[in-house]
Amino acid sequence: MKIILILPTFLLMISAAFAAPEKTAEQPSDLPKFMSELGKRASDFKTLKTDFIQEKRMAMFKEKMVMKGRIYLQKPSKIAWHVDSPLRYSVLITDKLIRQWDEDSDKVQEISLTKNPIFQNVLNQMNVWFSGEYGTMLETNTVRIIKNDPLIMEFIPKEGNIAKKVIKTITITFRSDQKYLQQIKILENSGDVTTIRFTNTLLNPPLNNSNFEVKGRV
Amino acid sequence: MFDRLFLLVYEAVHRHKKRTLTAVVLVTLLFTAILPFIRYEGSIDLMLPPDREITRSMNFLKDSNLSDKMVVSLALTDSSMGKRELFEAVDSLAASLKKPYFKKVMTGFSVGNLMEEFSVLQYGPQILGDEEMSQIAAMLTPENVSKKIKGIYLQSMRPDGIFTASMSRTDPLGIKLMILNKLKAIPASMNFDVSIEDGHFISRDGRHAMLVIQTDVPMMDAVRSKGLVSELEAKLKLLPPYIAADIVSGHLHTVSNEKVIKRDIAVASYIASAAFLILFLGIFRDPKVIFVFIIPFMAVVWSIALATLVEGKLSFLVIGFGTSIAGISIDYGLLVYIAIKRGIDKVRMLKMAKLVTVDAMTTVFSFVVLFFSMIKGYHQLALFSILCVLICLLFSLFVLPLVISVKGEATERDSSVGDRLRNFKWPAKPCIAVWLILSAVALYQSMSVKFDSDLKRFDGTEPRILQMEKNFNTIWGGKDSQAIMVVTGKSLEEAMQLNDSLFKEASARLPKGEFSSLAYFWPSEKTRTENRARWLSFWKDGGEERLKSLIRSSSLQYGFTPEAFTPFFDGLYALPNEGQAATGVMAQLKERYVIERNGSVRLLSFFPDKKEYLDALAPIVKENTFIVSKLAISESMTRFTLKETKLLAPLAILFNILLAWIFFRSWKEALIALVPLFTGVVWFIGIMSFFNVPLNIVNIIAAIISTGVIVDYGLGMTYEYRYNLKLGTVVAVTLSAATNMIGSGALLFANYPALYSTGIAMVVCMVSGYLSSLIIIPSLISLMKPVETK
Repeated sequence: MKIILILPTFLLMISAAFAAPEKTAEQPSDLPKFMSELGKRASDFKTLKTDFIQEKRMAMFKEKMVMKGRIYLQKPSKIAWHVDSPLRYSVLITDKLIRQWDEDSDKVQEISLTKNPIFQNVLNQMNVWFSGEYGTMLETNTVRIIKNDPLIMEFIPKEGNIAKKVIKTITITFRSDQKYLQQIKILENSGDVTTIRFTNTLLNPPLNNSNFEVKGRV
Repeated sequence: MFDRLFLLVYEAVHRHKKRTLTAVVLVTLLFTAILPFIRYEGSIDLMLPPDREITRSMNFLKDSNLSDKMVVSLALTDSSMGKRELFEAVDSLAASLKKPYFKKVMTGFSVGNLMEEFSVLQYGPQILGDEEMSQIAAMLTPENVSKKIKGIYLQSMRPDGIFTASMSRTDPLGIKLMILNKLKAIPASMNFDVSIEDGHFISRDGRHAMLVIQTDVPMMDAVRSKGLVSELEAKLKLLPPYIAADIVSGHLHTVSNEKVIKRDIAVASYIASAAFLILFLGIFRDPKVIFVFIIPFMAVVWSIALATLVEGKLSFLVIGFGTSIAGISIDYGLLVYIAIKRGIDKVRMLKMAKLVTVDAMTTVFSFVVLFFSMIKGYHQLALFSILCVLICLLFSLFVLPLVISVKGEATERDSSVGDRLRNFKWPAKPCIAVWLILSAVALYQSMSVKFDSDLKRFDGTEPRILQMEKNFNTIWGGKDSQAIMVVTGKSLEEAMQLNDSLFKEASARLPKGEFSSLAYFWPSEKTRTENRARWLSFWKDGGEERLKSLIRSSSLQYGFTPEAFTPFFDGLYALPNEGQAATGVMAQLKERYVIERNGSVRLLSFFPDKKEYLDALAPIVKENTFIVSKLAISESMTRFTLKETKLLAPLAILFNILLAWIFFRSWKEALIALVPLFTGVVWFIGIMSFFNVPLNIVNIIAAIISTGVIVDYGLGMTYEYRYNLKLGTVVAVTLSAATNMIGSGALLFANYPALYSTGIAMVVCMVSGYLSSLIIIPSLISLMKPVETK
């Protein structure tokens, strides 16, 4: 009898737990101000060096893709992205060009961004996420705070935002000091998911030209 | 007959002195009162030759909406402000620009829409032609497909792969690169170095944004242009303090030119008036000399009113000449005034009247010559000037004596300066020798004179506006002038088909990317249908199967699923979405390339306005096609002006020779009288050549007009010295030259280039003409056998 009573109660509790609305963190009363302050904190660097692990679950690929590598960033618009595994691959992105190299072909390929508005816009978007300048995000995204400690925020691109064509949501987890990101999770409209985790992040480290060389650097 | 008619009128006005003066005053007051209601024309169109090419090009530029656009560049002046603030300013400015002045404001393209509209499977089948399909066919090799698949794998590793990797599912071959190449030409097609960000036009430095404003106000409409510019400037004043704005628009030029011309006319009038007053009052010390001074002003007022009755609207340029005409026409009053002051009798008054009338006739005929020109503006100028001269002549002969010699007494006080000038003996032979040498040098110099047909030289726009354009060009490029190839058709499709074939031919003749045409982005429906049929047949006839098989064999090593590229294969045969082309970015592009007017369609293609390009494209210009080029217009103008000058200059000289002969009935005397004319023309061209100043349509006409004035000096001086008349001609010619030089010299203070150019031509002609009449004519006459009377 007890079992008969306990089981429904347990099921009720389980179902209640699942049926309960998702718990969201308290939203700041002045979100623009909050975003502006956060943006200032998270973008308060000129150079950046960080390791990353990127996981991609894409409909195109059978298996989850896991990449490890390093990022070097120099403001305002220079990013070197070096992949160490599963394949050695480097790409330098500036506001004028993309230069890439892979160990397989051992060739450097350069793509000019001049007069290529679409590519430029994609790279501008990416630059905003990596450089931590979130102050402007409210105009083009609906922003929601999911958790306060550590700070996790969700960005849903608004109509008119170019990202809306591809991206459903972007979820960002900040470091405890909120000075940079800990993780970015991107859910695409197609269902593909990309997660990038940042480790060993250094703000304002001295960088030199060799950090932005693609060939032979990795 | 002249004697009888002159005496008849002369005596009649003296009998009805009060009535005559009252009538003159009343009519002058009436004409002055209607001056503010007269409409003026600020455009230079009236001065353009009726050449078919020029007319068609100018009409096209007026009809098209090309010149009815304004471009505003907004700049961030505070380094702490960024793109967000800049775009906010752009959006708020765009929202504030409303009808009736502002028809449409374009601040950029939505890149998202651009991606959708120009997607591989929507756009590709319609615009990829035979050549591109051959390139796609060539891609279907194991090596190529393997390379592409690896590229997609690598792309997914790139940071931007987050945004772009999934797009590869609809484009395993990278056909988008072919399309991207076409899209690169979109910003370039605006002739600006522009990038697009967040749907806004932005400069490469990210600190400037651009708005393209379309208006219904035609560029040549001076009144509405003024309203339009004020409205825009008022809106720009509301921008935040960290935003600076530069405007580039033909309307600014129209408003500024009008302002500059008005200012120039006012300055020239003040300078000429002050100089005349000082000169006359200083020399004659007689307040009544003011009447001589007033005559040309009254004549200008009468002429404006009468010429408007005939023409409807007078050009500002023509009115500008009025200041010089005033200087020219003051001579007659001056000659009459001096003669009256010397106390001449009725017989000598008659002789004086003959001389003044012949003087006026030479001037009139130099303007009559302009009626032989094919340029309408010259006809207006001729009418206005002839009226001015004739009214001055009538006032001088019949009205001035009424107010000067009140009691018929001689009132001359001092003529010592004039007499000294009159009696001075120049060393004849040395003077003639120097004159001949200098004239020979000038003649030699004149062989290498240059001609400048660039209409831009007559643009008197204020430096502030030119500086804005300079700033704009530094940021956005677009300095190079563009020529336009125009294709016309009864329907859009007809014009587009013609445009397609023209584009193919033009692209083969010019360097890649230099010929910007709608056919490159969006060909005619016929071509699109053919392209799509080619696309479908390519994939149906084995292309699809071959690609699938190649992908299968190369994608496994990179871990792709068998369905990885299903979206591409599923979309190969999808129907095109025509609606997007009608409303999206393509529709905005069409605005630049398509003009629909009165049931006909014109398609425009743009290319740099260079001689070699014009030559290369000339052979492909067929029926329903023409090129609008500033360079070609300039060349046509040069050809036309030289042709007209060959007719007008000899005509003007012939008229002057004939009049001189009619007056003297002696070839020798007539030729001596024409010395100032010869000197004025030859020295003018020689001096311009020596100082490397090119001739242009304006200074040539000014020189022709001057010939009508300096020939008077020759006639008067020859008459005076040959017949020893002592009418006071030397002092009258000297004063006349001084007044003429003041009148035309006042134009040297003008900022408006056409008026300034007129001033230079007239001053050079007048000075050389006067000096030769003062020195060479008496020298030549002294070598002749003297005559007692004639």
